Amino acid sequence: MSRDCMTPVQRFAAYGRGEAIDRLPCVPIVGNTAARIVGAKVADFRGNGKLIADAQVAAYRRFGYDVIRIFTDLYTQAEAMGARVHYPDDETAYLAAPAIESIEQIASLHPVDPHKDGNLPAHLEAMTRAVDAVGSEAVVTGALTGPFTTASFLIGTETLVRLMLKNPPAVHQLCEVALQGALTYAKAILDTGCTPSLTDAMCSTTVISPRQFREFGQPYLARLVEYIHSHNRSVTLHICGKTRAIWEQMCDTGADCLSIDNAADLAEAKAMVGHRARLMGNVSPSEIMLQGTPQQIRQAVRECVRKTHDNPKGFIVASGCSLPVETPFENIDAMLDAVREIGWPVHIEEEVEAAWRA
Amino acid sequence: MPQNETELFQALSDAVVGMDEDRARELSIEAVDRGIDAYTAIERGLVDGMGRAGELFESEEYFIPELLLCSDAMYAGLDILRPHLKVEDANQRRFKIVIGVVEGDTHDIGKNLVRIMLEASGFDVIDLGRDIPAQRFVDTAVSENADVIALSTLMTTTMDAMAEVVEKLQTSNLRERFKVILGGGPISPAFAKRIHADGYANSAPNAVKLVKQLAGVPA
Repeated sequence: MSRDCMTPVQRFAAYGRGEAIDRLPCVPIVGNTAARIVGAKVADFRGNGKLIADAQVAAYRRFGYDVIRIFTDLYTQAEAMGARVHYPDDETAYLAAPAIESIEQIASLHPVDPHKDGNLPAHLEAMTRAVDAVGSEAVVTGALTGPFTTASFLIGTETLVRLMLKNPPAVHQLCEVALQGALTYAKAILDTGCTPSLTDAMCSTTVISPRQFREFGQPYLARLVEYIHSHNRSVTLHICGKTRAIWEQMCDTGADCLSIDNAADLAEAKAMVGHRARLMGNVSPSEIMLQGTPQQIRQAVRECVRKTHDNPKGFIVASGCSLPVETPFENIDAMLDAVREIGWPVHIEEEVEAAWRA
Repeated sequence: MPQNETELFQALSDAVVGMDEDRARELSIEAVDRGIDAYTAIERGLVDGMGRAGELFESEEYFIPELLLCSDAMYAGLDILRPHLKVEDANQRRFKIVIGVVEGDTHDIGKNLVRIMLEASGFDVIDLGRDIPAQRFVDTAVSENADVIALSTLMTTTMDAMAEVVEKLQTSNLRERFKVILGGGPISPAFAKRIHADGYANSAPNAVKLVKQLAGVPA
């Protein structure tokens, strides 16, 4: 497959102005899979900004996708505020214990110092290095976890969701501390030249209700988006799982692009909020990208493009969530190749489609 | 206080649906004081309420927070009523499930909901917790003489740990003895089939239906 004629920066700029591009933007959301590109173990990323940057830049160069996201896991801010994170030797980290056990301890929490606490300095170093290396050609973002999700890591998810019904002010207090931490970290990310990229996994309606999102998720996200906008950066917001019932509210946060999980439908998203936000998504990271064949990936990409290429605010072909570490390289190549094959203006060969459907 | 048994069962059920732990406790004490059969009070009161909560969850009127508080009310009542079960009710051999989140993952809300709904449906559940090595599932299933091993994960990174449980059963010649069922965000029926599991469910209520099928209980 021939490589691209435009750099990601050129492509996004032209796409945003409604001008001709060589292909749709494409973002297989590569996280710790980047370790495999440089032959490192996932745990080696811990505290090693140079390695994170080297791996992410190498992965970008290997595959030629449009957005580099400096990301290892969702816990970095919560860890910097006292949560305990377990680092398996060669797999993605997970939460071992929340920072606090009861609401009486909320007052002991303090917002982060991104230049000192936990692994935040390493992540900032990775962002700086990645921007230095390829910032002129590619979009480099820094992962920023949403306040509600960080709050869930601070006190434990089950405790937090019970408190939503039993003691709403305590939840607001936690979200506020998490927001202050996120704002401070967002500033540090912006200072590196990166754009913060928001994930608020726990806001999914797989977990909480749309009404609860309106009360505990949306207001804090809105303040974060407003802050990032004040630095003239556009914001992508990812919420995992089911989100259909909160798409309007996700737009109300001010987010410019919604990243849609494969648990939701892009055609529905386009119909409901396509005039308000750019959409990205939503090839299944597990069923298709990890376990599928290149041919299945090609089909999935074409399905996404068919549904969403005419989205009024634009469309980015992406995976529905971060890719599993062991996603085969040829599957990531297949995603990019499928987008290149479709090209621009979007053209999907119907005969070929008919052949595989039959 | 409710006048007759039927009203009391209804009130117990309502307390569970209404997420009212104190009320569920109070009504359970009332049932004990009146000498009402504990098994019937559990079935027609607490379990009925949790079933209704499950339906509200399926229709997306309730979400995980509400379901958890309903279960808190159910367990508050169970704590009071269980010691009063007749010996034959308490010792009845029930279909037994060993459940846990596989090694490498600590997301356990989904697993907890399945445990709650299984217990509310009268199954015997042994909850190993989260981040559980494959061997422990096998050992516990053997020592507890369980019928089903239920594995959960939210992470694509830990899906292989599910296959490991099945493999361990195979190499120990125990595969035929237990049914293995799977649940969690990245899991699909195709994945379950590929690792030779016996079933997959995409929600807690569907997990109950699946276990009922395996147990040969009418849904």
